[in-house]
Amino acid sequence: MNANIDRRQFMNVSLASGAGLFIGGLGRISQGAETAQAGSLLVGAATADITPDRPVPLTGATSVRIAREILSRCTANVLALESREGQRTVDQAILVSCDLGVIRPGIQEGFRKHLAGRLPGFDLDKLFLAATHTHTAPETLQERYDEKDYADAMQPKEYVSWMYEQMAQAVVKAWENRAAGAVAWGVGQAVVGRNRRVTYSDGAAKMYGNTNDPQFRHIEGYEDHAVHVLCFYDSQKRLKAAAVALACPSQSVGGNKLSADFWHDARELIHQRHGKDVCVLGFCAPAGDQSPTILYRKAAEARMDRLRGLTYTQELGRRVAEAFCDVVGVITKDIRTNVPLIHRVRKVDLPARIVTEAEYEVARKVCEEIDVRKKREKADAWTRHLYGLVVERYLAQQKGDRKTYAVEMHVLRLGDVAIATNPFELFVDYGVQIQARSPALQTFLIQLATSGRQHAYYVPTPRAVAGGALNKQPFTNYSATVAVNVVGPEGAQVLVDMTVKNINELWNVPKK
Amino acid sequence: MKACRLQLLSFVCVLSLVVGVTPSSGSSNTLFIGSATIDITPSRPIALAGQFNTRISRSVENPITATAVAIETRDGDRMVDCAVLVSCDIVSFRPTVPAPLQEKLKKTLPGFDSSKVVLTATHTHTSAVTEEGAYKIPKEGVMQPAEYTEFLINKLAEVIGKAWGKRQPGGVSWVLGHAVVGLNRRAVYADGKAKMYGSTTTNSFRGIEGGEDHGLEMLFFWDKDNKPLAVCINVECPSQEVESRYTINADFWHDVRTQIHAEINNDLCVLGWPGAAGDISPHRMYRKAAEERMLKLRGLTYTQEIGRRITTAVKDVYELAKRDIHTEVPFAHQVKELALPVRMVTEKELAEAKTQAEALEKKGDTGVKGRWFQRTVDRYNKQNKEPTQTVDVHILRIGDIAIATNPFEMFHDYGVQMKSRSKALQTFVIQLTGPSCGYLATKRAIEGGGYSAVVQSNRIGHEGGQMLVEETLKTINELFQ
Repeated sequence: MNANIDRRQFMNVSLASGAGLFIGGLGRISQGAETAQAGSLLVGAATADITPDRPVPLTGATSVRIAREILSRCTANVLALESREGQRTVDQAILVSCDLGVIRPGIQEGFRKHLAGRLPGFDLDKLFLAATHTHTAPETLQERYDEKDYADAMQPKEYVSWMYEQMAQAVVKAWENRAAGAVAWGVGQAVVGRNRRVTYSDGAAKMYGNTNDPQFRHIEGYEDHAVHVLCFYDSQKRLKAAAVALACPSQSVGGNKLSADFWHDARELIHQRHGKDVCVLGFCAPAGDQSPTILYRKAAEARMDRLRGLTYTQELGRRVAEAFCDVVGVITKDIRTNVPLIHRVRKVDLPARIVTEAEYEVARKVCEEIDVRKKREKADAWTRHLYGLVVERYLAQQKGDRKTYAVEMHVLRLGDVAIATNPFELFVDYGVQIQARSPALQTFLIQLATSGRQHAYYVPTPRAVAGGALNKQPFTNYSATVAVNVVGPEGAQVLVDMTVKNINELWNVPKK
Repeated sequence: MKACRLQLLSFVCVLSLVVGVTPSSGSSNTLFIGSATIDITPSRPIALAGQFNTRISRSVENPITATAVAIETRDGDRMVDCAVLVSCDIVSFRPTVPAPLQEKLKKTLPGFDSSKVVLTATHTHTSAVTEEGAYKIPKEGVMQPAEYTEFLINKLAEVIGKAWGKRQPGGVSWVLGHAVVGLNRRAVYADGKAKMYGSTTTNSFRGIEGGEDHGLEMLFFWDKDNKPLAVCINVECPSQEVESRYTINADFWHDVRTQIHAEINNDLCVLGWPGAAGDISPHRMYRKAAEERMLKLRGLTYTQEIGRRITTAVKDVYELAKRDIHTEVPFAHQVKELALPVRMVTEKELAEAKTQAEALEKKGDTGVKGRWFQRTVDRYNKQNKEPTQTVDVHILRIGDIAIATNPFEMFHDYGVQMKSRSKALQTFVIQLTGPSCGYLATKRAIEGGGYSAVVQSNRIGHEGGQMLVEETLKTINELFQ
């Protein structure tokens, strides 16, 4: 590793050519209202319990874990919005926050098909699913692990069908119970997400690297401790639903029990303070390089949890709930009933991260080694899957395919707030760029939202990519190598620019 | 060249001197605590420190203060070790204050080891200039820096004497809370360049250079009846939200004190300690409109909001701290002199500094910017003869926690290194303690350039920064063996 990485290489992305090239690939899936006229707002909400009553394989690890106990229940929380002028629908949206690891390829498409015909008057393209990224939720991808390892557990394909119906009932309920309501927005703070990438004196970076090391130099990037809050009220201004976004995936819990991680604890506390019927949608803002894992001062944090008599997950839930309640108490002064709601759904083709010949060779060798192994090791299925995709991508590239990655992007304007989605684990710097450049008062970003035909994975920054190249160890510079990046910094910059461009259009910002 | 550098580093290590030696750090001894606060607000207009331009105070928005906590451990009637921790609403300590104060204390507190005073600036930019010649200051109607400095030294001696005199059997507890206060202020662009407070709305903005630490390290001191005497709050943020005003203002620490007094205890002495925050400030780099709107809805100024956040964090842990008071703890206080390698001024940097200094002189600039460049020229002229600079650091062990001071505006990353590798349960890293030595930037910041990471701002470079980390950790970890 060259310790003297060129600073341009660190931060620079050659954007001009990429952006010019791919704007042409921008497709319009669903058209929102073009003007920001205020209309009356209808709000509906419902919750689905998506906790299976049978053992189930858990997502989020390199080898299979079968959950036979429930630590906390996984839910899907649904928010239905419609704006009207008189009896005319101006625009609409259904947002679903799911206690899942990710929205696997095909899941959102399958769910839309499952809903077909059950939501009269609703354009199903205007529904999106987003995952909280809990690593102790049921797995939804049948081939994620070796199927034989699932033993007597509910198979992922079986779970998905059951989950679809649970969520469909909640979506229908939310849509049907939509009624005149109001909205308020605000931002608070909670220290929950931590940058998890550690950089050493030779320039190498490691996710969850040891900081108690003489060669440790710094945590690679930034953290954003904002807690974005959107509250929805009924016509009596009683709190009905809330969307909360923070730059942290819910992955503080390990082990073999099914759990919704800290969102469960946050919801419990919010229910205690604001009523059990409040539907809470937890969203993960761009946080590809973030997690709740503490990288330094660990003993002091653990001691404080002991003094409080809380688990760390409970403490995280407490912090989220405290921030939420603090904001709610303030924004009740500014509840709006007539606000513009515009929802655009775009298809954006992003330049893919190109697999180099050297990376292909590494991946090919790893696959071959695993394939000839008589007895597979625990993480082999996971490793084979990742490196196999690298090989596939390289071979496709050679034929001129897979040069782009198609993203379904939702961009909404709700009053003074912009909401924008992406399907990735997007590094926090990109979220900061979008927020900084957005004309909206507040920009509510949601990662791990929607699903395409391929896995989305992490989107790293140039400085993260510079932390190490792909080798035979999948955890070398994990999250920033080609094994887990279908889109790299170049594509990310296009994503940022396209997101900002679409938000600008909703605020009628003149083009430069 | 590399060999020369290595030789220099080993030479520097040899020069590390322990000024105050503690015989034992692991054994517990009985704690005696005293605390006091004093007003250091001048009665007349003064020149305000912290900006390049000259500012004369037009009014007093709130008082500036100094607060002291005296700690002594005894084995029977025998003093084992001691410290007086002082937090002062001033931008930084110039050489005009610490040494004369020590001399004065020798007279006012005979028998007290004045090297054990830990003098920290909160970095408020709306407090007094304490050196003559730094700014061009009107002679009429303005209290001159020398006069204010004498006033300040007397006040500091008085508050230290009071705290020392009031010490009584007491206890200590340490806790950790969280508050989002300090924000990294260095924006990085597509060409790799960095800028303090650079625009984040431009298309070429790529990210914030470094991280932030929103952990609030807190030390509570209690009397024998478990009544709170003082709280020391280590926040990784300098108090410079209202830094450009023409008023005397203790910045957010005033609001913290006011709110803690109102909501916890009116008599509580509050010591504000800035953490490693050379690249940190309270200024928002993005999402500014949303934050402003929240302030309006709350009906608060931003310093009041910071006060609210810190006070909320203090209240959140107060009862936990009260349940875990220690009256007999291991205590040790070492004062070390470290000779750190200076950041060498290159020929190119020399030429730039000369050009800028001359241009400013020609323009008749009355601020400190000309001196800033001229000092760089002066440094070049003596850097081969004086390749190191000596700095004082205080390292303390109080029970399970360590306190490590430095005289810099030290970048966040160094603080994280210290906290990560320290054997203490909690490590309070306190910057701007003792005579100020400018910014201590990291390697990545120096590569990006920009104010705070250019040679004019850095008397010590990143090699010296790493050495400071290693020496600090060596001492802390010895105290916790």
